[in-house]
Amino acid sequence: MKFSILRYDSERDDKPYMRDYEIEIIPTDHMLLDVLLRLKKMDPTLTLRKSCREGVCGSDAMNINGRNGLACITRVSGLKEPVTLRPLPGFPIIRDLVVDMTNFFKQYHSVSPYLINPEPPPEKERLQSPAERDKLNGSYECILCACCSSQCPSYWWNPEKFVGPAGLIQAYRFIVDSRDTATHARLDDLTGPYRLFRCRTIMNCAEVCPKGLEPVHAIEMIRQKMLGNDETGGLEMHRPVPLK
Amino acid sequence: MTFMLAGFRPWLVQRVTATYMLVLALVVPVFFWLDPRHSYADWKAWVANPLISLAIFTFFAALLSHMWVGLRDVLLDYARPAGLCRFLLGMLGAGLLGIAMWVCWILVRLHT
Repeated sequence: MKFSILRYDSERDDKPYMRDYEIEIIPTDHMLLDVLLRLKKMDPTLTLRKSCREGVCGSDAMNINGRNGLACITRVSGLKEPVTLRPLPGFPIIRDLVVDMTNFFKQYHSVSPYLINPEPPPEKERLQSPAERDKLNGSYECILCACCSSQCPSYWWNPEKFVGPAGLIQAYRFIVDSRDTATHARLDDLTGPYRLFRCRTIMNCAEVCPKGLEPVHAIEMIRQKMLGNDETGGLEMHRPVPLK
Repeated sequence: MTFMLAGFRPWLVQRVTATYMLVLALVVPVFFWLDPRHSYADWKAWVANPLISLAIFTFFAALLSHMWVGLRDVLLDYARPAGLCRFLLGMLGAGLLGIAMWVCWILVRLHT
């Protein structure tokens, strides 16, 4: 199988370049990550992130044949050759397929992604009804792989000011949480021209999310909340679109 | 200026104005189909009706507000550096305000 992989070492290279590889697929090569790890054995300088190998940690997010996805859950048999691999677009490259996610996590932290409730905690736990818990569906599953934000043109233009789809789906997760008491402050924080309203509903985020989440839907629900519509609830999910 | 550059209210303005313009764009052709105007005098008399004048003024106010939000978003996204963006926003605001005053002048002239 033929691969074309973006290579860049900031200490040695002036600019990134594409390097071609050819490797024979063996029966144990189910996912793209399996092949990449064998390629790394052939060329130890090839650099990529990986951890759980089962689509939970989000470490191995990369641009696969033009679309962001996780290498560990991308079937190698369905990929068109040569398989072109690039780091997540719009993020500064550290080396090869590894990108600097500092700004991404800065935006994530800016939405205060934790429960805010100054009331003294009860003896056991803060309870929710099943209906209240259902409202978190479709948002709490985000693994912060950055596939969505990295495929969002609005985030490319304003990475310092626009929170991005990953941060906003996390914001929604706490806005609709019945145990959180900072809903108004959270909504006020997003009313400016940049933090939420740079979203032009391009929907790349929903298209590429490897978990089938729909950040664009969360953004729309936040706008509905700002309008005073409390009928917002759990978000729909879809079957992730397979990479080709 | 804070209002003009905010996020939520312009977003709301864009949706409300779009709805108003859509309704008018559907109603007016039906109105003319049922009651056609054939001469300049007919048209002038129609526009001079205070209710129609108000509807036309509201239509242009909606159109210009809608344009402000849309073009403002384009400039906020693409016009760099910030000084150039502010200058272009100022030019845009002045241009749209000029068009609004022109519409007012046309409508006021009909009533004087």
